[in-house]
Amino acid sequence: MTTIATDLALQMERVSKIYSVGDAQVVALDHVDLTVDADEIIALVGPSGSGKTTLCSIAGGLLTPTDGSVIVGGQDISRYSPKQLTRFRRESVGFVFQTVNLVPFLTARENLLVVDEIGPRTGRRARDRADQLLDELGLTDRSSNLPAQLSGGERQRVAIGRALMNEPDLVLFDEPTSALDTQLGDQVVNLIRHEMKSRGTAAIIVTHDDRITHYADRVARIVDGRISDPGARDD
Amino acid sequence: MFLALREIRRAKTRFALLVAAVALLVFLILTQQALQNGLITSFVGAIKRQSAAVLVFAVDGQRTLQGSVITPALQKAIESAPGVAEAGRIGQGTFTVVVGDAAKSNAALIGYEKSQLGGPDRLSAGRMPAAAGEAVGSAGDFSLGDRVRVVGPGKAVELRVVGLTDNAQIQVSPTLFVAWPDYVAATRAFNPDAKTVPPSVIGVRPVPGVSAGALTTQINKTSGDADALTRDQAAEKAPGVAAVRNSFNLIFLLFALVVPLVTGLFFLIITLQKARALTLLRAIGAPAGVLVRSLLVQALIIIGGGIAIGTLLFFPLSQAKVGKLSLSFDPAAVLFWAALLLTLGLLSALVAARRVLAIDPVQATTGGGAR
Amino acid sequence: MKLALRELWRRPGRFAVATAILALIALLLMVLGGLLDGLVAGSTGALRAQRGQLIVYSSTSQESLVRSHITPSVRKEVEGVAGVSRVAGIGSVQLGARIDGHGPRDLVPVVLFGYELAPKGLPDAVPAYGEVYADDSLHAEGVKKGSTIRLGPARTPVRVIGFLQDSRYSGQGTLWGSLATWRSVLASNRPGERAGDGVDQALVVRVAGADAGGQASAIDRATSGATKTLTIPQAIDALPGVSQQQTVFNQIIGITVVIALVVVGLFFALITVERIGLYGVLKAVGASSGILFAGVLVQALVVTLIASAIGVAVSLALAAAIPSGSIPFVATPSRLLTSTAYLLIAALLGCAFSLRRVLKVDPAAAIGGEQ
Repeated sequence: MTTIATDLALQMERVSKIYSVGDAQVVALDHVDLTVDADEIIALVGPSGSGKTTLCSIAGGLLTPTDGSVIVGGQDISRYSPKQLTRFRRESVGFVFQTVNLVPFLTARENLLVVDEIGPRTGRRARDRADQLLDELGLTDRSSNLPAQLSGGERQRVAIGRALMNEPDLVLFDEPTSALDTQLGDQVVNLIRHEMKSRGTAAIIVTHDDRITHYADRVARIVDGRISDPGARDD
Repeated sequence: MFLALREIRRAKTRFALLVAAVALLVFLILTQQALQNGLITSFVGAIKRQSAAVLVFAVDGQRTLQGSVITPALQKAIESAPGVAEAGRIGQGTFTVVVGDAAKSNAALIGYEKSQLGGPDRLSAGRMPAAAGEAVGSAGDFSLGDRVRVVGPGKAVELRVVGLTDNAQIQVSPTLFVAWPDYVAATRAFNPDAKTVPPSVIGVRPVPGVSAGALTTQINKTSGDADALTRDQAAEKAPGVAAVRNSFNLIFLLFALVVPLVTGLFFLIITLQKARALTLLRAIGAPAGVLVRSLLVQALIIIGGGIAIGTLLFFPLSQAKVGKLSLSFDPAAVLFWAALLLTLGLLSALVAARRVLAIDPVQATTGGGAR
Repeated sequence: MKLALRELWRRPGRFAVATAILALIALLLMVLGGLLDGLVAGSTGALRAQRGQLIVYSSTSQESLVRSHITPSVRKEVEGVAGVSRVAGIGSVQLGARIDGHGPRDLVPVVLFGYELAPKGLPDAVPAYGEVYADDSLHAEGVKKGSTIRLGPARTPVRVIGFLQDSRYSGQGTLWGSLATWRSVLASNRPGERAGDGVDQALVVRVAGADAGGQASAIDRATSGATKTLTIPQAIDALPGVSQQQTVFNQIIGITVVIALVVVGLFFALITVERIGLYGVLKAVGASSGILFAGVLVQALVVTLIASAIGVAVSLALAAAIPSGSIPFVATPSRLLTSTAYLLIAALLGCAFSLRRVLKVDPAAAIGGEQ
C-alpha cells in the first residue's frame, strides 16, 4: 500500500470503465477526470444511465476501473485486489445508500457499531465514537430503537452516522433524499453539509435533487460517461 | 398453474433440493416399513403359515415355539377340553444342517403330527411330504430337490425338500416343515441325551359352531398351564413382535412429523421472499385464490415428485435381502404413506397460503410490501 | 459474529421452524441410535461380562451357545493347550420365570447361566447349589435380594443372593448360578436338551499373552476340529441379528444425517437469498465474504446446538418414560454426543451450499439502480 502525499480527497485521472454485455462493449465511463478537495462537497448530477453511479462506485472502491488512476486520500486504489478494496472501504470511505439499508434487527447504536464488528475490533474506542456520533446527530435518545421504530429522517441520520464511524477521507451519498419529503430532505441535506464541513471531510452526493445542488460547493455534470461540466467551486 | 410452473423452472436448484429431501424421507419411511414387515414375517411367519387355527402353548413357553414344552398331562388336558374336535403335536427346534454340499448352516424344523394341524396351509411349489424324510422348505431359502442333512453328535438325519411355501420363516431362520417322526429323529441327532421328545405346542381344531377365539377361552379354563392362542394372536403376541412394532411406530411418528415441517418451512420462506412480487400481482388484479392455488400446485408437484422418486428408489431395494431378511414391495403401504404425506404436506403449505391471503394490494403503492 | 448472534436473539421466530425440524431430526437420530444401543446391549451383555478372552463352542453349534455341547474329553484337550491359563464351563437355558407378585400366567422370560469363572461384577466364588445372582434389570420385575424365583414348567426354585449389571442376553434378564444348578434346572425343564454329567455348553477360556486369536486356532487344532473357538468380540458378532441390526440401523442413521444436511442447506440457502441486499450493503461498507459466511456458520451451529439440546432432553425424557420391556431404548451419553456431532457436521456441510451465494454478492449492487 503506497501513500501519496496529497491534499486532495479524490483524484481521478482518465478513468474509463467498460462493461462487456455479451459480445458488445458498453462504455460506462469514458476518460473521466475529477478531483475533490479535502473538505469539498460536490454534487454529481446527470440523467439516469449517464455513469454517475459507476463513477461513485469506482471512487468508493466498489468497482475497479478498466483504465486510468484513482487516488483516494492518498491511496492509489486503481489496481487494488478485491481483498484490498474490502479493507479500503472498511477503513477509508463512508457510504450512504439510496434505500436506507440499515440492518433491520440491530438498534441505531448497533448499526453504527457494525462497522467496527466487521473489521479488526477496537471495542471501547468504537463505542465511544458511536455514542459521540449519535449525540451529534441528535439520536442519543433513539439509540436503542430498531430501524422500524425510527422515522425516515432518523434512519437517514443513522446511515450518515454509520458512514462516519471509520473517520473516512471521503463519504459517498447515493440519492440521500429520494425517499424523503421536501422538509425532511432539507433537514437531511443541512445535516450532511454541517457534518462534512465540521469534520473537513469530502463528500460526493449523487442526486437528481436540485435542493442538494445549492448546498454543494460544486456541481459536476455527467452525460454519457463524460464529465460535461466539472463545475466551479463557488466559495 | 402458469405462475407455479414458471417459478419452479426459474428456481430449479431450490425446488430440486426440496424434492430430494422429500424423496429421501419417503425412501426411508418405505424402507423401514418393509424392514418392519420383513422382520416380523421372518420372526413369526411360520406361525401364520401353519394350518392349525388354535395353538396351545405351555404357559412357561411365554408364547415362543422353542420355549414351550407340552407335558403329557397338559396334552391330555387339552385334548379333553370342551370344543376340541382334533388335536395334534407340533414341535419346533433350530438345528445345524448341511444343504447339499454347502457348509454347515442353521435351519428351524417344525414337526407336525397331522398335516392339517401344523403343516403348511399352502404351498408355492411342489407337493406335501408323503414319505419319511420328505420336507417342505421356506421359499427363498430352499429349492425343490434340496438334500438337507441334520447333523449333530447323534445319528444324522437325511431330508429331501419336496415342496416350498412362502413367508414361512421362524426365528429369522430357513425353515423346514417335516412329519413328526423326522422331527424326533432330528432332535436325537442334535442331542443323543434326549430321552423323550415332547411337543412344543398342540395344534387344535374346534368342533363346528365353536370359534377359534371361544375355543382358546375354553382351553385356558381347563388348565392353568395351557396358554391357548388363535393363529393371529400367536404371531402377534410372540415376544419381541410388540417391541418391534412399538420401536418402528416411534420412528414412523417422527418421520411423519419431519416431512410436513420441511415442506411447510420451505413454502413459508419462499412466500415471505416473494411477498413483494405477490403484492404486485395482487395490485394488478390477481385474485388471492389464484395465488393460493398456484402455491398448492407447487406443493403438490414437490411432494408428489418426492413420493414418486422415493418409491422408485425403494423399488429395487424392496426386491433385495437385508442380511437374512427378505423385503417386499407392499403397494398398500406405499399408497398409505403417499396419501398421508401428501395430505400433511398440503396442510403445511396452507400456513404459507394464509400469508398470501393476508397480503394487502394497497401496500404495492405505499411500498409497505418491501419491508 | 456478534451480528449473527444478535439476529438469532432478535428474530428467534425466523429460526424457530428450522430449529424445530432439526430438533425432530436430532431426536430421530438419538431414538434410532438409542434403539440400536438398547437392542445390542440387551443381547450381548452376558458375553461382554465374561472375564475370559475366548469362548469355545462345539464345531456343530454354528456358534450358538444353546446348541453347543462340550464333552469332558474335549474339555481335557482344551485344558492341555499351551498358554491356556484357565478353562471354565458355561451353560445357558431360556425359561419362563414365576416371580412373586406376578399373576399365574404372567411369566418373565429369563436366561439362566451356569458358570465356573465369575463374570464381571461377581465374586470369584461360585454360588451354592440353588442360589443365583440376578441381572439388575430384573429389579423392575419385582426381584429382590432373597426372592425365590421358580423356573420353567418344573417350577425349579432358585434364590436370588445378589445382583450384577449389564449382563442381559437375547434381550432378556439373566440369572447366574453354578453349573450344577444349571444342569439340574435344564434336566427338569428341558428333558430334550439334557446335558450329561461333565458336559458343558461352551468353555470360557483365559489365555496368557496377548495373541488371543492365535490361541483360538491352537485350541481348535488341539481338539482336531471338534471345537470352534472365538474371541469375545467375534462371539458377539456371531450372535444372530446383532451385526445385521447394526448395519441396517447405521444405514438409516446415515440417511437421516443426509436429510439433516439437506434441511440445513435448504434453510440457510433460503435465508442467504433473503439477505442478499443486506450482504451487499455490509460488503460495501467493508465486510469480507469470510466474515459474512462465518456469521452463517455461527447461526447454523447455534441452531443445531439448540436443536440437539432439545433432542437430548426429549431422549432422556423418553428413556425415563418408556416402561421397561416395551421398547429396548437407552439414552447413553456417548450416543447423544455422537448424534449431536453428526448433526453439527451436517449443518456445516449444509451451510457450504450457501458459501457460493455469499461470495457472489456484489457490493456494487448496493448503489443505485443502474447496470
